[in-house]
Amino acid sequence: MRNIFNRFVRSYHRSAMPGYVAGVLIIIVFFVPLFTNSVVLLSSLILTGIWAIAAMGFTLVLRTGQFSLGQSAFMALGGYASAIFTAQLDLPFWPSFFLSGLVAGTIAFLIGLVVLRVGGIYFSIITLSIGEIVRILALQWEPVTRGSRGIITSAPPPITLYGHQLVNFDAGPVPYFYFMLCLVAVTGLVFRGIGGSRLGRTFAAIALNPVLAEHQGMHLMKYRVIAFTVAGIFTGYAGALYAHFLSVMTPLVFGLWQSILILITSIVGGIGALVAGPILGSILIHNLGEYLSRLNTPGLQSFLFGSVMVVMILALPQGAGLIDVWKIFWRWVWREKKSELDTVSGEAEY
Amino acid sequence: MPPVEIWVDGLTQSCIFMTMAFGMVLVFSILGILNWAHGQLFMLGAFVAFYAITAAAIPFPVGILLGGLLVAALGIVIKKFVIDRIGNELYIGVATLALIFTLEGAATMIFGSDDRGLAAVLPGVYTMAGSTISYQKLAVIAFTLVVMAAMYFVLNRTKVGLAIRAVAQEPEAASLSGISTQRLSLIVMGIGCALAGMAGAIMSPIYPINPFIGRAPMIMALLAIVIGGLGSLRGAIAGGLILGFLHSVIAYYISYLSEVVLFILVILILLVKPQGLFGESAK
Repeated sequence: MRNIFNRFVRSYHRSAMPGYVAGVLIIIVFFVPLFTNSVVLLSSLILTGIWAIAAMGFTLVLRTGQFSLGQSAFMALGGYASAIFTAQLDLPFWPSFFLSGLVAGTIAFLIGLVVLRVGGIYFSIITLSIGEIVRILALQWEPVTRGSRGIITSAPPPITLYGHQLVNFDAGPVPYFYFMLCLVAVTGLVFRGIGGSRLGRTFAAIALNPVLAEHQGMHLMKYRVIAFTVAGIFTGYAGALYAHFLSVMTPLVFGLWQSILILITSIVGGIGALVAGPILGSILIHNLGEYLSRLNTPGLQSFLFGSVMVVMILALPQGAGLIDVWKIFWRWVWREKKSELDTVSGEAEY
Repeated sequence: MPPVEIWVDGLTQSCIFMTMAFGMVLVFSILGILNWAHGQLFMLGAFVAFYAITAAAIPFPVGILLGGLLVAALGIVIKKFVIDRIGNELYIGVATLALIFTLEGAATMIFGSDDRGLAAVLPGVYTMAGSTISYQKLAVIAFTLVVMAAMYFVLNRTKVGLAIRAVAQEPEAASLSGISTQRLSLIVMGIGCALAGMAGAIMSPIYPINPFIGRAPMIMALLAIVIGGLGSLRGAIAGGLILGFLHSVIAYYISYLSEVVLFILVILILLVKPQGLFGESAK
């Protein structure tokens, strides 16, 4: 346990790539809609972003040493909150979108207060149970959630400025694409801020050695609840965007298997980086999944996901993911001296 | 008061949950890990029994044994080539979670995702005092009793069982007494997985068989383990019994929401008494 979390502490000092390269990449992504009009490509990018946010939430919770198997429940909560506010209660879009994340966050906070007292494997089992409860309630609570028929969600209203229509969400996926980019950017900035701050170091300390951290005066419960709540808020926003982008919210897309998919995304991407890892993992897992599901071989997708994950765990040092492979590649490109994978075996014990 | 059929139904469900939970706890008490892919082994056991009976015309009881054996072999392979090569418990958990996807995907590719049935194994019903019970459900209960009795014999009357109990209690003292913990953990993994496979084979006549049937029993077995206490074998049996009866009796009154009630019950138990109803201490 101790060794993997060493990575969290150390990863603050190294970044995956220099800032200017990241900047150039972000600018390229920003102009993607200029090059292509393909609905398929843009939709798949939007979904990639949404799952990346969910995976970031999972990674943040993992940083406190807890293994949540119910992250997709918060996506469902956010999505249903937004869908119910707009479709059933006729609230305007932006306030209800804003509220959806807060609803998911509040529920995460309340659950966290109760559940995080028992840590470890019990936490995994309880979060798994909560995910199932949310799914069954969504399926069976017909008057509110309309059961398996799902709630039809409306697109966000067009944004107008001085009478000119600037953004029209009914026109196609491009506005959703920028919406997704904004959401990923906000989430990324918040998480990056958390990761580099005193708070992030506290999380790492708690994961590394809970007993020592507690004796240093860190309140374990407080920090675990903070991580779980922040993850819940942003996962809720991702779910709300998902609901409005797909224009229908059904309980069939959220469940334990989506939670495990989020886990796989996060770990394949690499848990050493809070933001870049989940994004890389989501780009790989989601687009690969999209491609594989078009091959018309049922089962191939889950078989490959599972196998890639197992092989990755077996082949790479624990805690390493795509992001670490990328770092090796980057150093190799620039012929930097430190080109070996940082195995944690030579680490000083503490 | 629900009719007799509901109670019998509860008992058959208890049998499945009990066998699954027992295998999981057995593995947990020796290896210290939860095998999240236990439900998929259950599914494979059901498929083995299905093909043994339909394609090879093997009698049902032998089909159950065959399912247990083949799944045990798979479990040993998983232990040897996946679990043993990962040092860290957290990552063993992740790997077995990933194995859920691998096994389900492989089963879908090989067997297809359609429902199959094995209804012709033991047709007929038994009528008693106005209520009818199908022979298949009686067979499920009978075979589970046989399997559990065999487990009791192995654990309490054989040298392997003694070694298993010794390692579960005090691993270091056990290995000082000359027990090879490494080999024993392989055996235990085999037994645990065989239980999952046999549970799948035993219930194959009463439920449809497809690659996704392992999900629900795995979650239910987890809940049974939590009710009984993680690491307590007696607790796993008691938890399975309680859960099976509660599941079908509550479902008699409020249908689909019974699972929600069970989940909430388990969460409450965890919060009030994290060591479970029968757990001696946190292991």
